Amino acid sequence: MVDAVRGVNFTIERGELFGLLGPNGAGKTTTIKMLTTLLLPTGGSATVLGHDVVTSARQVRRDIGYVFGGDRGLYDRLSAWDNLRYFAELYGLPPATQRARIGELLELVGLAGREKERVEGFSRGMKQRLHIARGLLHDPELIFLDEPSIGIDPVGARELRGTIARLKESGKTILLTTHYMFEADELCDRIAVIQNGSVVAEGKPDELKKRVSAGRVLEVETFGLAEGELEAVRALAGIHTVAVEERETTQVLNIQAEADAEITSEVLAALTETRVGRVAWREPTLEDAYVELVTAS
Amino acid sequence: MSSIRLFFVGGLISFRALFSWLSPWIYIPSLLIAPIFQILLFVNLGRAADVGSDSFYLVGNAIQYIAIPCLFGIANTIAGERFTSTLGIILASPARRIPLFLGRALPTLANGWIVALFGLSVGSLLLGVQVPGSAWPKIMLIALVAAASCTGLGMLNAAVALRVRETSVLSNITFGILLIFCGVNVPLEMLPDWMAHISSVLPLTHAIEAARAVVAGADLGTVGSLLAKEALIGTVFCVLGLVALRFLEDQSRRTASLDRM
Amino acid sequence: MTRRSPLLAVPRFLIVAWWIQIKIIATSAFDGFLQVVWPLFFATSAFLVYRVSPDPDVMVYAALGASMMGVWSAIATTASSALQRERFGGTLELMVSSPTPFALTLIPITGAMASLGLYSMGATLLWGWLVFDIPLHIASPVAFVACVLLSIISVSMVGFMLSVTVVRYRTAWALGNVLEYPGWLLCGFLVPLSMFPDWVAGVSRVLPPTWAVQAIRESANGESPWVSLGICAALGLAYGIVAAVLSENILRSARRQATLSLT
Repeated sequence: MVDAVRGVNFTIERGELFGLLGPNGAGKTTTIKMLTTLLLPTGGSATVLGHDVVTSARQVRRDIGYVFGGDRGLYDRLSAWDNLRYFAELYGLPPATQRARIGELLELVGLAGREKERVEGFSRGMKQRLHIARGLLHDPELIFLDEPSIGIDPVGARELRGTIARLKESGKTILLTTHYMFEADELCDRIAVIQNGSVVAEGKPDELKKRVSAGRVLEVETFGLAEGELEAVRALAGIHTVAVEERETTQVLNIQAEADAEITSEVLAALTETRVGRVAWREPTLEDAYVELVTAS
Repeated sequence: MSSIRLFFVGGLISFRALFSWLSPWIYIPSLLIAPIFQILLFVNLGRAADVGSDSFYLVGNAIQYIAIPCLFGIANTIAGERFTSTLGIILASPARRIPLFLGRALPTLANGWIVALFGLSVGSLLLGVQVPGSAWPKIMLIALVAAASCTGLGMLNAAVALRVRETSVLSNITFGILLIFCGVNVPLEMLPDWMAHISSVLPLTHAIEAARAVVAGADLGTVGSLLAKEALIGTVFCVLGLVALRFLEDQSRRTASLDRM
Repeated sequence: MTRRSPLLAVPRFLIVAWWIQIKIIATSAFDGFLQVVWPLFFATSAFLVYRVSPDPDVMVYAALGASMMGVWSAIATTASSALQRERFGGTLELMVSSPTPFALTLIPITGAMASLGLYSMGATLLWGWLVFDIPLHIASPVAFVACVLLSIISVSMVGFMLSVTVVRYRTAWALGNVLEYPGWLLCGFLVPLSMFPDWVAGVSRVLPPTWAVQAIRESANGESPWVSLGICAALGLAYGIVAAVLSENILRSARRQATLSLT
């Protein structure tokens, strides 16, 4: 398990919002758990805000906030207020300022007025925002957000992105993991993509997009992809990757090709048995870059 | 034919579910060690108070502990299926209810029987209580009837479990009531009258009495009427349970309490 | 951020966290009901057996002992599942990742459970008085209250140790169930230790509840409870220290083997 992150090496600057992307099981959560002192590395070292995660675990714990996605990590039977009060005690907040601080955070995450209700009645999005408030109680310099938007509806997710952006503006350093590429694209200053426990790419979102070999992506809509023809397209010269996106009655081929390759006619020629719909070139997204990085390595 | 199939196949599947739930880590402490300690607790209590014999407490508590596997078994089968959301799927099927639920009761019944015999045999060895060899076949029969009638009560208990969330609390309370009322540790004639009346309509009371008589050397003929009463009581509870299951199924379709966690 | 002196911060933390834990347990009314009623079933059985005895003091003996059964039950059954619950809920990791030492976060949890036992203790005495006419005559009330409070604290240290020991086992709750009866038996709640073989009585003597119930009986009878109470407190402290050391070790190994969370 710890081996999974053998080759992970990155540095986050203060005030930066750093994204850690990668498929399930790539080692994202393991990395975060090591940095939040929940796991001991068997080799190598990690320093958080100048403190070693093994030898100065308590100092690290004081300076960081840890928030993960999903329903867990809250006491459902308690009110939002009591949840925050308990963790305020665990983080040693001075009693005199606790009340004000909790009120401030409830305001920040948009839960003011709901604090007396039991958490079991909260929606997923509300729970997640309460989670963030909990992680911010002690005003940590560095915040770990491990897939915070998982399972949240689009409106909730947008609000969450707003909250994260505000945190960054206020000068916090943030490490974010997510499976949603547009979220990473919108929020992150820099991104590392990890796979099988090592970093396969690192850079600003735009730099990663430029790495998509072609700089361009050909989208081909098909109705019932005939057998063998996907392989035929993949075999064409000048093509790097072909990702198939299944929709209700159609399939969309996302074809990444070399920059100057003019492949439209070859691709269409290869799809002889398949009914083809819309065909269009578009600019690559972070998702294209991600898919190429992850499938290539 | 299909009812018989439903009875056995459904029973088999829930048997597997029961035993994946009852891993050795749960089975050994809860169903083998705990009854022995319950027996030891009351045997020692009887010795300290100088009331009754070791054999009296041994038989009473070993048989009464049937209530744990029987009440929890069926209730948890149903509660467990609610937890994994398969209960709704089963109830949405057109399968006939009676073989469906009775099939589910079969492994529980067998399990209760094993637990009682284990408690009796290990308890008698530990305490040096002499149980004549000829009494064992009769005890096995009595334990089987006791397990069946307690499973009947388990049906009613499980029906209520469909409705309330805290099934184990309910099962524990039922267990406690049986402990006090079934003459487990106090002879029925020493209970206040009103309690003895309740005792006479509860499962296990007659089986415990029959088992004590058999250990003391009685033959099956003399305890026959006790066993018949025990079986009758079990059947009545079982029918009540099936009726209640039916009723609560209709209810929960109306109030959506089925998949509420 | 300014930090408080530990001299003030630790007691405050323990009290606030204890109160919050009480709230968590108390919200399930049905559970709380069982916590009180369950020992009553056994107390009632014991009273029914002891009732035959002509000596009225025997019933007082049984009532005082039975009242401790609920304290033990609360600890045995809930302490073993307490950390499991935190683990399933994902809050165990958050407790660990906070700067408060792990052992300190566990004390209020077991303390809250032992406090529930107090509730059942009162209920048992009341039940004995109302239904079985057992007189509630306490010779030295001050000593009695001191004994009850210190007993609960000592017993909660046993719970602390138990919860730490079993945190890695998923079916720990079953272990809690199996500890209930032996505890009732071995701690001499309902039967005198002199009935046991020597080695069993030896085991009884290293369990704080054994001394707790003895102290409680002595204070009720007007004898001096302080020796028993002192032994009870010393044993409780020893369990607490062992548990604190154990908790750090277990935490370290859980951090190495990634067993804190279930994901």
